[in-house]
Amino acid sequence: MKRFSALGYLLFTVWGVALALIGRGWQLAALVILEFAFGLAWSREGLRPLRRLRFWTFIAIALALGPFLTPTSGLALDRPSFDWSGLSVGLEMAARALSLTLAFSLGLSALSLSDLVALFDRLHLPGLGFALGVAMNLLKSLESMARVTFETIKLRGGLRRPLVALRLFLVTLVTNTLRYGDQIVDVAAMRAFDPNSDRFSDPEAIGRSRPADAGLVLGLLLSGVLLLALG
Amino acid sequence: MSSYELRDWVTIGLFGALWGVVETTLGSYLNVIFPSFTNTFFKGVILAGIGVAIALTGRFFVQKRGSLVLIGVITALLKLLSPAGAKIGPVVAIFMESVIMELVVSLAGDPRRWTFVLGGALAVAWNFPHKFLMMGLMYGRNVAQVYRTLVENGSQMLGLDASFALVILAVLLGVRLIVGGISGWSAWALGGAVARRLGQRTQAVPE
Repeated sequence: MKRFSALGYLLFTVWGVALALIGRGWQLAALVILEFAFGLAWSREGLRPLRRLRFWTFIAIALALGPFLTPTSGLALDRPSFDWSGLSVGLEMAARALSLTLAFSLGLSALSLSDLVALFDRLHLPGLGFALGVAMNLLKSLESMARVTFETIKLRGGLRRPLVALRLFLVTLVTNTLRYGDQIVDVAAMRAFDPNSDRFSDPEAIGRSRPADAGLVLGLLLSGVLLLALG
Repeated sequence: MSSYELRDWVTIGLFGALWGVVETTLGSYLNVIFPSFTNTFFKGVILAGIGVAIALTGRFFVQKRGSLVLIGVITALLKLLSPAGAKIGPVVAIFMESVIMELVVSLAGDPRRWTFVLGGALAVAWNFPHKFLMMGLMYGRNVAQVYRTLVENGSQMLGLDASFALVILAVLLGVRLIVGGISGWSAWALGGAVARRLGQRTQAVPE
């Protein structure tokens, strides 16, 4: 059970991205700590990027640039400055990258498909939520459709002429996809589904704010003001 | 949005899913072939080229303003929901590519082959400023200084004129424009071929 509503997690992402873009120095360090604490408490799944070597390589590059950077003279490849000024510039770059990544992953990774569909319904865009549902549920079918098409062309010796095979593959795949779409349209129409009508969605029931959201908004506001005051 | 009918939403979902499949499956393969921090040029060009072709083919079948942006939004959301997790870079790239295609195709009025070619070329070319924009966002303003000085120092070190760097950048941009143009051209041809096979359903202007 999630602690906050979809809107709450989205708000967290907006808050984190905004502060990461305007923050400097210690503000960024404090922001990273706050985001990490939020992740530990309410969005552990969002801390997944921290387990990837690639992510830390990305951060290490920013840190490694530090000794070559000085705030006054810019980049100095021939005479790296191993002092605090250069290191602080590198640290700031690494902290900004880290805080932006966390803001994005902690907020958005907490959202499920149904959260997003409910959010679109609430924003009076039920069609977009419907299209997202169609897309998400078709991913596997499309993959297998592509595999079957490719195997068929291969078995019939189509790969001897690669360009013709590619054309055949694409035309067949898109045609089959659109035919599949016709079936979805028929099924939805039979159920009298109209994506442009709010009749099928109840904004009061879906994507509803939770009591904890008020606390989150207050917490984000307070910590935002405190962070800005740090500068 | 009210002008969109059920079939339009389904088609948008289908082409968003197709682009999403390419981003998640082919993207993973390319990550292995071209690991990050070694080569993002080929990966970006290949993924953007195919993605742009798919989105423009979708536009061929949903001749309504905004459909390319909607396909891009669906793909970006699929990328967000994919097991690889939420990454800012590809999501921003997908969204910006779809906005650029939409602007070109919508401003030109009726969809025609040349609008697809131009839209595709500009969308794939977005990869070029995208890297700089994302690095600027992620690392702050210092990174611009880093790029500039790296080019100056590099040209001094190799004994080359700094203008060579500009030539290299121009070539990289040119390759993207050409690949994007081919994607747009292919999308128009593919849309036509599929429409002929299905025997219907497009209001696209015949050439």
